[in-house]
Amino acid sequence: MARIGVFVCHCGENISATVDCGKVAETIGKLKHVVLSTEYKYMCSDPGQTLIKEAIKEHNLTGVVVSACSPRMHEPTFRKACAEGGLNPYLCEMANLREHCSWVHEKNELTTEKAIDIVRTQVEKVKLNSALQPIKVPVTKTAMVIGGGIAGIQAALDIANTGHKVVMIERSPSIGGHMSQLSETFPTLDCSQCILTPRMVEVAQHPNITLYTYAEVESVEGFIGNFTVKVRKKAKSLDEKLCTGCGLCTTKCPQKKIPNEFEQGMGMRPAIYIPFPQAVPNRPVIDREHCTYYIKGKCKICEIVCPTKAIRFDQPDEIIELQIGAIVAATGFDIKHADFFPEYGYGRYKDIIDGLQFERLASASGPTSGVIKRPSDGQIPKNIVFIACAGSRDPAKGIAYCSKICCMYTAKHAMLYKHKVHEGKAHVFYMDIRSGGKNYDEFVRRAIEEDHVNYIRGRVSTIYERNGKLIVKGVDTLLSSMPVEIEADMVVLATAGVANSGAEELAQKLHISYDSHKFFAEAHPKLKPVETNTAGIFLAGACQNPKDIPDSVSQASGSAVKVAALFSQNELTREPLVAVVNRMGPPLHSTCVGCFLCQAVCPYQAIEREDIKTRDGKVLKSLAKINEGLCQGCGTCVALCRSKSIDLHGYSNNQVYAEVVALLNEY
Amino acid sequence: MNNLISRAKELLESKTVNVVIGYEAGPTGLARPAFITDSAKADKLIYDERCVQNLAVYLTKAEVKNFGKMAIVARLPVMRSIMMLISEQQVIGDNLIILGISEDNSLLDIASISVMQGYIDKCDLGNPSKDREILAELNKMTPEEKFSWWQNQFSKCIKCYACRQACPMCYCIRCTVEVNQPQWIPVQANAHGNTEWHILRAMHLAGRCISCGECGRACPVGIPCHLLTMQLADQVWNYFHVHAGTSDKMNSVLSTYEPNDKESFII
Amino acid sequence: MSDFEPKVVAFVCNWCTYAGADLTGTSRLKYASNVKIIRFPCTGRIDFMLLLKAFANGADGIIVSGCHPNDCHYTSGNFHAKRRWIMFKELMDFMGIDMNRVTFSWVSAAEGAKWAEVVNETVTRIREMGPYVSYKELVNKTIEEEVKNE
Repeated sequence: MARIGVFVCHCGENISATVDCGKVAETIGKLKHVVLSTEYKYMCSDPGQTLIKEAIKEHNLTGVVVSACSPRMHEPTFRKACAEGGLNPYLCEMANLREHCSWVHEKNELTTEKAIDIVRTQVEKVKLNSALQPIKVPVTKTAMVIGGGIAGIQAALDIANTGHKVVMIERSPSIGGHMSQLSETFPTLDCSQCILTPRMVEVAQHPNITLYTYAEVESVEGFIGNFTVKVRKKAKSLDEKLCTGCGLCTTKCPQKKIPNEFEQGMGMRPAIYIPFPQAVPNRPVIDREHCTYYIKGKCKICEIVCPTKAIRFDQPDEIIELQIGAIVAATGFDIKHADFFPEYGYGRYKDIIDGLQFERLASASGPTSGVIKRPSDGQIPKNIVFIACAGSRDPAKGIAYCSKICCMYTAKHAMLYKHKVHEGKAHVFYMDIRSGGKNYDEFVRRAIEEDHVNYIRGRVSTIYERNGKLIVKGVDTLLSSMPVEIEADMVVLATAGVANSGAEELAQKLHISYDSHKFFAEAHPKLKPVETNTAGIFLAGACQNPKDIPDSVSQASGSAVKVAALFSQNELTREPLVAVVNRMGPPLHSTCVGCFLCQAVCPYQAIEREDIKTRDGKVLKSLAKINEGLCQGCGTCVALCRSKSIDLHGYSNNQVYAEVVALLNEY
Repeated sequence: MNNLISRAKELLESKTVNVVIGYEAGPTGLARPAFITDSAKADKLIYDERCVQNLAVYLTKAEVKNFGKMAIVARLPVMRSIMMLISEQQVIGDNLIILGISEDNSLLDIASISVMQGYIDKCDLGNPSKDREILAELNKMTPEEKFSWWQNQFSKCIKCYACRQACPMCYCIRCTVEVNQPQWIPVQANAHGNTEWHILRAMHLAGRCISCGECGRACPVGIPCHLLTMQLADQVWNYFHVHAGTSDKMNSVLSTYEPNDKESFII
Repeated sequence: MSDFEPKVVAFVCNWCTYAGADLTGTSRLKYASNVKIIRFPCTGRIDFMLLLKAFANGADGIIVSGCHPNDCHYTSGNFHAKRRWIMFKELMDFMGIDMNRVTFSWVSAAEGAKWAEVVNETVTRIREMGPYVSYKELVNKTIEEEVKNE
């Protein structure tokens, strides 16, 4: 039999000034199963809480209703007090007499009556509460970082430095990402490689980091603290233990005409290659798509020249299975290329290049050794045009967002050009200059004022070739939209940053949400920017939206802290206010019919499939099953379930029904 | 019809299927469902205007499932029901052979679910025209008129749940009406209980009803309860541009959403 | 009818409207005391049957309120709820059950003033409409029949 204790708080005079607390306590005291109904000036004070603790013992209470302020304020306080008094904390409910009654109504009888209704509703609810135990979930203290760009590197190092194991997966043959392709970085113009490569080496040498390059995530199962990840290690076609990275094979490979991805197609590479000199790991892979042996069945020159006999032509892809506690997605971004733009000739003109190509031209380690030479004939351009917002902020092109980094790198490009070609002229067409950030605007001003870059506010309508020159036609909107025509030797498009190829597929494997542009979605745009909707999976860097290096690194450190916090405990304790699918003995097993419409409705992928099998393995029935590690307790599945087979702890069908009845009927 | 019979015989003789679900003529000449397991008896199969019952309702019954591989005579509503049942994981598509019947009562060649989808896509997926007319009339009424019209209908309801039994999509093993903790729907066949039962049934079929009208046909006291679910089927199309039962991989509209779903009543 | 005080139940989500109503209190904004709140984790949890239960138990009006689209604590509960209410409202309209007695609203945790407005507007409207006689009659008819049968 239920024995309910009700404690009516005056909150000084905050409640008692408008609500007749004595009458509330007295009326509620007459309700069935209420064995104690009392009032006190400050329930949240020490003596107030002691009152509850003692009453629990003295009256052998099975439920407590504290009628005071908002549960959003003091529910944890009173649940803790109940627990200390020996009552399961989930057998305590609060009636909100302050925010929802005394503070919003005048002092009169109706207000006191409403207060009584509110308390009675909670009394009826608490009778149906059940003693819940916190959910404990074990935690595997190994993190996986997907993507070896600067964000992934930072996240991996930060996690590894807290003493936890990290597995890094990178799909290309080397880590480093886009940052390794950059020449200099804004706003300091320090060399990108110089600050990045020590970090890359640190990753490779860190005792807590296991690095898998040329590897991709095959599948992800499980939930926070307990993921099972299958990783496909693509065949590198060599024994990495034997290979010394001498590079002889790469120089002898007869197939040398493959566009070099690292150089953005502006250089060539052999079929067996190390992507760039500072690559980590510094070991080659064979590009089977282009290797003569795999195409024609003979060649094997690399095998012949290899001093350590490390080449393995018959090496298969390998699938490894890893137990992972938390995942950081840091898969980065890509950019649109010149062929995306009909108005700029669909990539037909060799001297219209994108920003990453310009980075390679400006890089000392690039195909031109840092001399700005245009691709068509190797001449140094005397007149260069940079076009910002190429694709970005253009809903007609399907990209309504600002790519964020282009204003800054365009200024950087123009400066680098001016520093290298003193007599040259640099023009920038822009829509707005977005240079928020520490020392960012100063940087742009320097480009304009010190390096005399000609900034033209306006858009370029078309570019075409005439007598070996690229004719750039645009307008200057600051000069009454006066038409501008520039005869350029080279044009650099600051093309939009877009989601990386395969982002959608990976998001689906990870069960995380993504937006219409295939960028991964954060759990909350303001307050949970590094979390995803799937507990235990975090975001770092430009896979979420285009970001510059400082932002990517900050977010990576943020996600590393989230992972470290998760790994600081052996078990994860979660509020038990989760959904549950009913179960019963055979032959029904559950009233769930397994339509799995609830699966679609769950934002957390917390609903799994459970097969009830006979002893010989025949599936008798498939049921929905809630994964307590993932369920956040929203209850959307509960309201959707037609057969009422799912219920929600803390807000059960019985409880909410009783609340409706109690609120509207006097007893 | 001969095509249908010879195809059924062929399937049974070759043991491709263990049963053919179709129609036969009953003793009074009305069509009734037939479960043919012996090819010699396939001659009983009929197919004409009398054959209106939605046979898909049997596909979720345990005793029918036990047959394993089966063939089913299916006009458009049955095909759409099958699509829904596959997408709601109640029926395994690979176990089914569809003996499709076209609008002009000829046998269709439906080799696979995707062929069936192609056929469905070409059909008019709105409500049947006679029901459209009644719906239009009802929608012209004032709220008070609608209320009394429906209350008058519901007053006949004896809560026999024939509407539920006849519906292929009402396959739950425990219906909400059988839940008594809490008692969501008053047990008695009275004004209150009947009204809430019909609301519940219609809501549970929102986005899932394929407009076969079987519930209304099954009602022994003539309540046109199919108009409730058909009205919602219309609204599902108006709001979300979805017809139920057009793919074996569809989610019901109430278990999915689009961020830009339009409504005009939320302030 | 001037002394009629409607009973109004509010079904609200914990994260936005409940918090918004808390803010109304902290801001000491006054509203009609006819409205009583039941807290849910999310609008997605609110079963349409509860609205019928509220009417059956004597409510004259109902408020359903949660987070604005895109603000859901659980990201999509309110979107699912929206679709559910669209269907429910269409069905109720078709059956002549008066949906003017139900206010659907989005009230964020920052919209304490909006909550007071929503409540006052709803109470004023329901007061003008009078008690929800037709639904009460459904229930009463039932009780009378039972009494008769006994």
